[in-house]
Amino acid sequence: MKGKLLGIFGLLIALCVVGTIASADPWYDLSSSTFLKTGNLMNLLSRTSMFGILGIGVAFVIITGGIDLSIGSTVCLSGVLLWRLLLVEYVPESQYSVMSVSSSSRTFEMESAGVPFRPGDTLRYKGGKSDSRIYRVAGVAETEGRTIVTMEEGASRDDSGGQLIPTLKIMERIAAEGGVGPETAGSGTAGAGGTRLILEGQQSIQIRDQLNILRAPSGMNTSTVTDVQSDENRTIVTLRDQLPSTVDTNAVAVVLHRKQFMSVPMALLTTFSIAGLLGLIHGLLITRVRLQPFVVTLCALLIYRGWSRWLTGDDAAGFSEYSDSLGKFGQGTLPVILRGKEVVFGIPYPMFFMVAIAIAASILLGRTLWGRYLLALGRSETAARFSGINTGRVTLAAYVICTCLAAVGGILFSLNNNSISPSSYGNFFELYAIAAAVLGGCSLRGGEGSIVGVIIGTAVMQVLNNLIVLLKISDKLEFTIIGSVLLIGVTADEILKRYTAYRRLKQNAAK
Amino acid sequence: MNGSQPIPRLEVREISKSFPGVKALQSVSLRVEAGEVLSVVGENGAGKSTMMKILAGVQSQDAGQILLDGKEVRFRTVRDAMDCGIALIHQELNLADNLDVGSNIFLGREPLKFGMIDDGEIHRRSEALLRRVGLTVSSRTLVRELTVGQQQMVEIAKAISIDARILIMDEPTSSLSAGESEKLFRVIEDLRATGVSVVYISHRLAEVQSLSDRVTVLRDGRNAGELCRGEVTHDSLVKLMVGRDISRFYVRQPHPAGEVVLTVSDLVTQAWPAHRLNFTLRSGEIVGIAGLVGAGRTEALRAVFGVDLPLSGSISVKQKEVELRSPRDAIEAGVALVPEDRKQQGVFLEMAIRQNIGMASLRTHARAGFLNFGVEQKQSAEMVQRLRVKAPTDQQLVLNLSGGNQQKVVLGKWLAMKPAILLLDEPTRGIDVGAKQEIYQLMDQLAGEGLAILFVSSEMEEVIGMSDRVLVMHEGQLTGELQRQDLTEEAIMQLATGQKHAVTHLHEKGK
Repeated sequence: MKGKLLGIFGLLIALCVVGTIASADPWYDLSSSTFLKTGNLMNLLSRTSMFGILGIGVAFVIITGGIDLSIGSTVCLSGVLLWRLLLVEYVPESQYSVMSVSSSSRTFEMESAGVPFRPGDTLRYKGGKSDSRIYRVAGVAETEGRTIVTMEEGASRDDSGGQLIPTLKIMERIAAEGGVGPETAGSGTAGAGGTRLILEGQQSIQIRDQLNILRAPSGMNTSTVTDVQSDENRTIVTLRDQLPSTVDTNAVAVVLHRKQFMSVPMALLTTFSIAGLLGLIHGLLITRVRLQPFVVTLCALLIYRGWSRWLTGDDAAGFSEYSDSLGKFGQGTLPVILRGKEVVFGIPYPMFFMVAIAIAASILLGRTLWGRYLLALGRSETAARFSGINTGRVTLAAYVICTCLAAVGGILFSLNNNSISPSSYGNFFELYAIAAAVLGGCSLRGGEGSIVGVIIGTAVMQVLNNLIVLLKISDKLEFTIIGSVLLIGVTADEILKRYTAYRRLKQNAAK
Repeated sequence: MNGSQPIPRLEVREISKSFPGVKALQSVSLRVEAGEVLSVVGENGAGKSTMMKILAGVQSQDAGQILLDGKEVRFRTVRDAMDCGIALIHQELNLADNLDVGSNIFLGREPLKFGMIDDGEIHRRSEALLRRVGLTVSSRTLVRELTVGQQQMVEIAKAISIDARILIMDEPTSSLSAGESEKLFRVIEDLRATGVSVVYISHRLAEVQSLSDRVTVLRDGRNAGELCRGEVTHDSLVKLMVGRDISRFYVRQPHPAGEVVLTVSDLVTQAWPAHRLNFTLRSGEIVGIAGLVGAGRTEALRAVFGVDLPLSGSISVKQKEVELRSPRDAIEAGVALVPEDRKQQGVFLEMAIRQNIGMASLRTHARAGFLNFGVEQKQSAEMVQRLRVKAPTDQQLVLNLSGGNQQKVVLGKWLAMKPAILLLDEPTRGIDVGAKQEIYQLMDQLAGEGLAILFVSSEMEEVIGMSDRVLVMHEGQLTGELQRQDLTEEAIMQLATGQKHAVTHLHEKGK
């Protein structure tokens, strides 16, 4: 094992040296090497860390003699799940369902009685088919448990199934420059350039809510609220954007409250719980129903891919809402070298996750009962069972760990990428992870593997990938090159192993 | 070369062969004349099977020559040996049980017609061959539908079909009923009459005595002697095989048996659902289970060790009824099993001695799931010393140990756990004579310390030499129980072959 680790570490060093020299021009001028550019190195560290987490997970499964092909899909699914659980909607404080709209009689028939509209109110109609525009109420009548609202002006055509939303009057637009500056200056620079409006009454508006500004006959602007001041009579709202000058007291506003599906900690917890549950299902199918790991995880690969695409409607799942908060976990760095305020070199946050996970995994594998049992059952399941080891439960845990680590990786990947497209994101990641584990000394026959090896293996794969880009080798050859290196690696290992076994036999025979 | 002597059909000169840690054969010679039955006998581990594998081209010798009709031949593959007219009928049958009898006989040598397999020809020729070996089944019967005895006949038919001039039979009767054995002997007589040479390996000395023209005895991988027809007696054979006085080889100090520690009542195993097993075991007692291969002995041990769930019946350990659903349950109840298949079920070949010894007892020393390396090391050192495991350090892989030392490691694993009941399944199979005696000494010593030992063995000498009491099984049924003073090979064989149903006080109830 030690020899194997040294071998693969040597390969990593060799690749780095080749990369440094080949990407420099002239070759001896290291400062010109694009491989050594701090941005490249940071990117490399970040990718190695994230793939390393996947590799550690699959290593546990490989040690049992199994395989997990669903990692790539799990990566995508966990990103998509997190996206869905953190999904933000903007909803008005109140809205009333409309059954039908008649253009000729200028009436809106509401679904229920007791609608609190008064003549003179300005309402926004958000229609089924009709245009979104504002109406002024002329009269309100109740019949047979329904409310009929008559407008001053009729709709352009008949409609049904829309909503009427109450609006707020804009009392004043405060000039952008000068004006009532002092109170808002403290709340950050973002608000400084935006339009400020005074709305009627005391409104419960939060920062990050949105404001819809509507003008008659039609026309709409939307902007995010960056600051709110209010007293009993009025509410001063600062918006992120500078709105056109047509927005004045003739316009009305609808407050859209920001609703996040779940809080960030809850969303993370839920994502991991789902991942853990999926891993548990894999494990149960493999250990109890005795399906083959290949088959179970192949099906999982397909299921999760489709599920991800369905959850997002095949659109990209983006995290731009969170780029200043949660996104840091994927994209942020701990500065090491600074030039002024600019980070020249920093350790990417994913690396801290990877190191922590690697240490925990090493301890788990080398120092705990569970790790010992895992290695033992990978060598011989029967012998393990005959030694009183509950092989089913040990194996089960390996699958749960693998899927959970795939979820950790998946979340970091999607935050790092900011946006993932569920139809393809994470494709082949499982193969990268498996290849790295094999390169790092895991035997697919089971019972063998080291965490350090897996990480070095991952680094080799990533450096290789990086070199293909830097050296302007056609990226179409990427898979070919990675496949070849893997093949050469395992062939060399096998031949070496046979040679040492033969030498040992020969020595014994001589004795 | 041989002076005036006729050139033998097959001559083996000074063949040597080593495996890691074992010298299986050292300068062994033998010869076979045309139309002669040569028996090769010796204890397990004497080198018989290795010799036969070399003759059949399964393995190749490290040194020495094989001469066929006086000309040196070298077999690299089984095919080479077959082409020279040598066929091996293996201890484990090598038939494809999903194919029919005819296809098996001609497997790899199918007669062709227009480039296609000529099925008609196969079955025409197969039927003739089957008649010759006295088998009355159709050649279109699937092999899996035949009894073991019938399958053996198919193997012989296959051997005849290649015009084998030398037929090697490795323990052919070990899984045959008495009737089937008789049939086999008649076929051997027939073959001899037609000039075929037969090399017959068996540890059933009575068979050897009646069948052989000559007997070559191997001991510890060397020639121990040769006996011609007339000189072959039970005592002369045993003396050559064991190389010392048998009464001193099997060490038994008389101990008084203690209280009953294991009670098996009405146990019905999955393998033999029609029979109930009833027996007891006392502390300090060594009880042997004798019977033919496949008589249900291993299955009985497996049920007591919780490997196979019994269909009904109860097991009590130390007067307390226990439900053994897994080996872990059994271990917790104080039952240990040294399994028949050492390499698959007993040891972890690619793990160190120390880790093997710790495997069953680690759990008791672990703290909060973390391994206790100190205890593991101490325990291993203790066992290596007590059991005299021959290895430079206890970090050596079990792979590199001889069979005897591997078995000691399995025993060490269990002794570290301090069981109350030790089950041994063929404890000395594939072990050299020295280690064998050490294991016998250990069994005696453990019984003296109050351990209850139940062991299955196919070696008659061992059963007779070691047991306080012997249970005999035949086709899933306990056919008798013999006390130490009544133990004779004849008495056991009669019960084992179902010729006699000795003891009624076993309350064998049948279905």
